[in-house]
Amino acid sequence: MPMLKLAQEILGKIPKVEYADVRIVEQDTEDIAIKDGIVEALQSGHSLGYNVRVLHKEVWGFAASNDFSKSGIDATIKKAMEIANSSAKYKTTDVSLDSQKPITASYKTPIKEDPFEVPLEEKIDLLLKADKAQKVSPKVVITQSSYQANREKKYFVSTLGSKIDQEIIWTGAGIESSAVSGAEFQNRSYPNSFRGQNQTRGFELVRGLELEKHAPRIAKEAVDLLTADLCPSGEFDLILDGNQLALQIHESCGHAVELDRALGYEASYAGTSFLTPEKLFTFQYGSPIVNLTADATIPGGLGTFGYDDEGTKAQRTYLVKKGIFQDYITSRETSVELHKINPKYNKKSNGTVRASSWSRLPMIRMTNINLEPGGEVGTGKAWALDELIADTKYGIFMSTNRSWSIDDKRYNFQFGTEIAWEIKNGKLGRMLRNPTYQGITPQFWNSCDAICGRPEWTVWGTPNCGKGQPSQVMYTGHGASPARFRKVKIGVVNW
Amino acid sequence: MQGEKKLKQIAEKVLNFSTAQETEVLLFVGNNFLTRFANNQIHQNVAWHDLGISIRIVNDKKIGVASTNSFDDESLKKLVDKAIKLAKLQKPDKNFISLPKPRKIPKVKNEVYEAKEDELAKSVYTVIKKAKKNKLIASGAYANDTSELAVANSRGVWAYHAGSSCNLSTIILGKTSSGFAADVGRNVKSVNAEKVAKTAIKKTIDSANPKDIKPGEYEVILEPQAVSEMLAFFQWYGPNARIYHEQASCLSGKMGSRVFGKNITIIDDPFHPEIFPMPFDYEGQPKKTMTIVEKGILKNIAYDSYYAKRYKKQNTGHALPAPNTMGPIPLHLYIKPGSKTKEQMIKSVKYGLLVTRLWYVRVLNPKTLNVTGMTRDGTFLIENGKIVRPVKNLRFNQNIPEALNNVVSVENKLTRLASFEGELVNLMPTLQIKKWQFSSGTLF
Repeated sequence: MPMLKLAQEILGKIPKVEYADVRIVEQDTEDIAIKDGIVEALQSGHSLGYNVRVLHKEVWGFAASNDFSKSGIDATIKKAMEIANSSAKYKTTDVSLDSQKPITASYKTPIKEDPFEVPLEEKIDLLLKADKAQKVSPKVVITQSSYQANREKKYFVSTLGSKIDQEIIWTGAGIESSAVSGAEFQNRSYPNSFRGQNQTRGFELVRGLELEKHAPRIAKEAVDLLTADLCPSGEFDLILDGNQLALQIHESCGHAVELDRALGYEASYAGTSFLTPEKLFTFQYGSPIVNLTADATIPGGLGTFGYDDEGTKAQRTYLVKKGIFQDYITSRETSVELHKINPKYNKKSNGTVRASSWSRLPMIRMTNINLEPGGEVGTGKAWALDELIADTKYGIFMSTNRSWSIDDKRYNFQFGTEIAWEIKNGKLGRMLRNPTYQGITPQFWNSCDAICGRPEWTVWGTPNCGKGQPSQVMYTGHGASPARFRKVKIGVVNW
Repeated sequence: MQGEKKLKQIAEKVLNFSTAQETEVLLFVGNNFLTRFANNQIHQNVAWHDLGISIRIVNDKKIGVASTNSFDDESLKKLVDKAIKLAKLQKPDKNFISLPKPRKIPKVKNEVYEAKEDELAKSVYTVIKKAKKNKLIASGAYANDTSELAVANSRGVWAYHAGSSCNLSTIILGKTSSGFAADVGRNVKSVNAEKVAKTAIKKTIDSANPKDIKPGEYEVILEPQAVSEMLAFFQWYGPNARIYHEQASCLSGKMGSRVFGKNITIIDDPFHPEIFPMPFDYEGQPKKTMTIVEKGILKNIAYDSYYAKRYKKQNTGHALPAPNTMGPIPLHLYIKPGSKTKEQMIKSVKYGLLVTRLWYVRVLNPKTLNVTGMTRDGTFLIENGKIVRPVKNLRFNQNIPEALNNVVSVENKLTRLASFEGELVNLMPTLQIKKWQFSSGTLF
């Protein structure tokens, strides 16, 4: 039976409630991990299941199962209803949703080459070559290359009359060299650390990365880092490469603008947000050239899709405009709640609700959260990275994340990167090891005085964003180009 | 619940479908309920059920792994074919010898408990009521997880275990502070919601209106939750055979040498009476109690079948599910209790900090085990043996081996700590540490 029809049949069995939706989700994954010339992981995964979400007596009930038998479906619906009834006994407020029109739609990630159709031999060969090309020195003790592909078919129906089917495909790959000398251990990755680059694109992404070509350079940098000088400590100008800035955006903006966090719904786990509702439309989050958007429509972005898991169309929203805090990422429920708290807020959901699998409750997740590039309306000059370095008298240029940590309101952060270079009188100088920087989010973003333009702007994928109880790992994207921040606390730890 | 008989039937069916030289079957069952609350109300109440299978195929030292949650015969045959196809495309791993053979698995009781309707919500309401009474805001989660794990392989391994946990945690928010508490048990009756609420509320009230404090080096008293958070990365990057032999562990090359202070003994005990026992690993090999560090001396590290054969050591039963790119990990660590009470520790500190929890701990350098993170949910200044006031949260940058070499005293008891998910539970004492490096402060 076609899945959308099956989803409608399940929906039809649900007793009369205020609202209900059903999602059937089928996920296929493929992972290859090479280490020191050995294929350490060659794995294929498949998961199929469904969930029932009911709004009954103004509270939610949710149940999920992979049992599609008649009795399995009946039991799942019964469980969702029982849960709603149980919650209703203890409710203190009523859930209301924004108004939506029924949608009938289909969406498929546009790709050039289906990663699941590329012969496995070819993928393994590509990764083995990239692994071998890292062996440039006996000091390179670990070489790794990895590839992953994911296909998610989602079928959504609701009592509003919506019927949406989607097929989202994302692919990723990367390499990592580790060099050791005595107690010193250094890593270099390409094109990014922690599983490389990931996008909603096909295998064309992996081919375009040219892993083998970049492998010797990356491995040599890992070796050179062993004897590089320690990053100096002090308040210096800082230029962040796009791949590091992407994670900075993720942690200090992306999580801070999740409306469920700001309203306290994540307090028990990941914390709350300093961006409280009264700050909307007035708070100076960043300098006037800082424009941050949530945009689920960017071609290739890892957080790109057609419709969210509540059936709201993907969209682009300004979160920070000319430095001023403008909006959150929202859901049908929280947008209504925010209006009650701040009547100036009069918007419906901006379509950011997703679940990591059929067994999880959809919640607000980052889509593609981006720092708009220089040279656009309100973003200042479109700098080139060379120009930006030439314009810096003394500073540090840092690339590729190594560690990240931020407090539970998203104020105090510390990041470490794999590599840095000193900038002296407008020129890149010595390589520096163990670079770190610290800051307080609004102070940091208010010190941003230059952003590189669109030619150097990339949507970086962050496939490992954790949130919620039970934990959900989501794939998100971050558009960023290199940018400069003045007088940042750098090299805070010498280790 | 599927039960041992049904899972064994599935495993045998899959082993019969396979034409590979060696086949391993891993079956996971989960029945889960979770009631989540925030702003003094229940906002998520969910249930989910899943049955999954993962198989590992070996042909001529070439390995393929495939998984699914579809269990009709056609899907299972497809799964076997897929894994065989994957293995065919593999390069032989010359270090792989074979899947392990059966070994005697210690008997433990399978304790299963599924919460009845309203049970979780009732306990949650207890916490909410107490928070409201104190004009505070409660948030948290109460999870009831029942899991079954079965491992079979073509060499005759069969292992099955089932267990449940009820896990209640809360963070109580005040205007300027927060407090954390949690409890975990096999069933709802053994989880004390009243005590959880009382502990978290006290922390919140005690930590209200925190003052700024200058970052720098402090003597610290880390409560059990903070000790557990500090040790998490040691657990992954320390006594792990893969990382140890790659020379990437802080313990590499130090077997038999002093690595921590004489007052530190670290034991991996999957059978400790205070935790939920785990009799075997993900290869169906028996677990046993293992001393990792004894009075500061490194004694043992964790091995699975692959690394034990590769480095000619005994398999200690620490395999994770295949394909495991992390290495073998000890999952049931505790620090052996010392002789002091927490109160005695506080009395002995002239100027220092009492830390309830750590947050967002991340590794700066896995080899040296330098980590960074924040304090959270209650940090207090101690002066002349007394807690004098709450302070704003601080960021630390600390070398873990250094900290474990600077332990002044270890608490005389262990506290049972819940994980956020699943059965995993660990035990930790409070630690008094002479030097701890704080590098900056935050605004709350």
